[in-house]
Amino acid sequence: MANHVLLNSTDHQNLKVITEREEKYGDNVWFTLTFPTEFRSVQAYYPIFFNKDSSTGQFYAVALFGFQENENLFLSKDGWQTPYIPLSVARQPFLIGVQKVVEDGEEKEQRMLHIDLEHPRVSQDKGEALFLEFGGNTPYLDNAADILETMHHGLIDSKLFMELLIEHELLEPFSLDMTLNDKSQNQMVGFYTINEDKLKTLTPDTLAKLHQLGYLQAIYMAIASQSNVRALMNKKNEQLGL
Amino acid sequence: MFFVNILILSKFMNKPLKKIVIVGGGSAGWLTAGIIAAEHASAQDSGIEITLVESADVATMGVGEGTWPSMRTTLKKMGISETEFLIECDASFKQGSKFTHWITNTHEGYYHPFTLPHGFNDINLSSYWQPFRDKISFADAVCQQSHLGAHGLAPKQITSAEYSFAANYGYHLDSVKFGRFLRKHCTEKLHVKHIVDHVSKINSAKNEDIASITTTKHGDISADLFIDCTGSASILLAKHYKIPFISKKHILFNDSALAVHVPHENEDSPIASFTSSTAQTAGWIWDIGLPSRRGVGYTYSSAHISDTKAEEELIEYITPLIGKKSANAAMMRKIALNPGHREKFWHKNCVAVGMSAGFIEPLEASALVLIELSAKMISEQLPVNRQAMDIVAKRFNSKFLHRWDNIIDFLKLHYVLSKRTDSDYWGDNKNAMHIPESLREQLALWQYQAPYKYDAIHTEEMFPPASFQFVLYGMGFVTQAPHKKRTDQSAKAEALFNENVQRTKQLLSALPTNRELINKIKKYGLPKI
Repeated sequence: MANHVLLNSTDHQNLKVITEREEKYGDNVWFTLTFPTEFRSVQAYYPIFFNKDSSTGQFYAVALFGFQENENLFLSKDGWQTPYIPLSVARQPFLIGVQKVVEDGEEKEQRMLHIDLEHPRVSQDKGEALFLEFGGNTPYLDNAADILETMHHGLIDSKLFMELLIEHELLEPFSLDMTLNDKSQNQMVGFYTINEDKLKTLTPDTLAKLHQLGYLQAIYMAIASQSNVRALMNKKNEQLGL
Repeated sequence: MFFVNILILSKFMNKPLKKIVIVGGGSAGWLTAGIIAAEHASAQDSGIEITLVESADVATMGVGEGTWPSMRTTLKKMGISETEFLIECDASFKQGSKFTHWITNTHEGYYHPFTLPHGFNDINLSSYWQPFRDKISFADAVCQQSHLGAHGLAPKQITSAEYSFAANYGYHLDSVKFGRFLRKHCTEKLHVKHIVDHVSKINSAKNEDIASITTTKHGDISADLFIDCTGSASILLAKHYKIPFISKKHILFNDSALAVHVPHENEDSPIASFTSSTAQTAGWIWDIGLPSRRGVGYTYSSAHISDTKAEEELIEYITPLIGKKSANAAMMRKIALNPGHREKFWHKNCVAVGMSAGFIEPLEASALVLIELSAKMISEQLPVNRQAMDIVAKRFNSKFLHRWDNIIDFLKLHYVLSKRTDSDYWGDNKNAMHIPESLREQLALWQYQAPYKYDAIHTEEMFPPASFQFVLYGMGFVTQAPHKKRTDQSAKAEALFNENVQRTKQLLSALPTNRELINKIKKYGLPKI
């Protein structure tokens, strides 16, 4: 069970966070959330698809790491085998909590750094320290806060991006049929991708609008990222010793 | 001279149909307008022009609050967002009907779900279920939906796209809100012209067609085709053309109804996903769950019970829901029903849709679906000119006369198998004199063979053979076991029964309750894809 608490230098002075990448630290995920402003970094290594949140039905972009639950093909005993780890994974065990504060008599929402004390990365004795001995944040903690801030703005932007994709019917479900080296047939369903036929028929006005928002680039990066499926399949074959 | 006449006539007969006038609003008028306008591109100059004329002073009667699954296709074709529809019409998901106390006045009841029995197109599972009739109900054995009903679950998840499903469904809705919602969509999106005015006169052409209608403020309005959606007043088909009414009261006795709105206990109260129908001494009580309230009503035979006694039975039904004090004080609306239909529905250049064509008690929610089917046929078979119209009209009449017979047989089936003896009403219902011959014949046959594909005589039957199975076996009817055949399918049947158990388990663990899903839709909306 998660236990989210507001991070503070008094209660959490000696808390540390383990930064190694391993299954036991919760890195065995087969996909993670991403967003358009992160696509440039993500598309270099991972296929980008779209998925529906099971509790809200809302679409979000994902970076794919495997073909089934608990399968992260980038994870080996030597850690995570790619130079870039998507922010929604890198942020663990931190998260943003919203607090209501009254400022000049006006109620405002303030974003505060929280930590999941039950997360397997949280430790008393090993890992990166969060606070300096005589007060102040460690560079590690500042970096974590930056990641969360980037994610926060990225996700707000992502909402508009997804709305526009849906409005212009640019999403379509697909099934990925794979034949592994042992000739076994595998199928992955449930994800969505860019509908390229629809993309080709967009009006100049729509294209201009998408371009101005930076979404045209994001769309093409998502399409280009599909070539990473081949690399992922190779990893799968390798893992199965095929 | 003779030749000239022919020439003029054929020129008139070949004039393309360009303009339709619908008289009357409500669900019938606006559904018909929407269905035709969506197909015939009324927004474009080349399309068909549709004008709906309704009086401001005619109160719209809420006809039925339950739809069939066909409504999903109807709304989708009209370009309606399901999320908007659900929220604005106070709608929820309907997965079929539940019948309580129909066999005896203590019998728990049975389900008539919208899903076909598992593997229905390949195998008639009913014969293989018969030996286990005392162990499991027919619906529970052959489909998943009755289980969903018993658990109050929704037919889909928040991730399911608009109009798609895990289990087939229609809607429960607020019919007055639905009429307004359709009006807005038709006028704003589908370019249906809307005139609020009173029709004072109907003007005939030489060939007895309706040339135009005279309105108080807008003068004469002419059209190539007039659609009568004026409800039981039926001002074009009945009043103007004097098309006779065929009463069906000797078969289906219910000619009165008392309707009442019942509030939910609190805003998180469960919303039933099946229309509940509970048999009474002289009719039955409907109970329809909407997100904001329940619609409850007693439809009964005035020949078998007094209004006062009927009111007492309705109060008795709602007392456990809202307490004795509120039940006694509840506002009840009395509605007179006239079961039956017109001798024909399309006459000359006038066709009736909705209650102007006929009405029957809402036992299987046939009112809205009949409107959809009528409008669909008018739209798909829309005569290109006056010459083609008579042939289309003839086909329309024959199709819908058959549909009415099919509805009447099917509704009557619910009554004839009852074992209730607590009132004359149930006794009279079982009297052969009051049972159509077609139904008597089918019942005789079904003793020896289960209803299946050959029982559907026409395409697009109102009630498919599967529906007959659900009611027949739900009511405890016994069909003799068939003799052993060369190709024994019992292994296949067993596999299907087992598969049904597995799928039921999966759905029960995956689906939210009706209330949970409606709340989520209000918050997030359903995805478009």
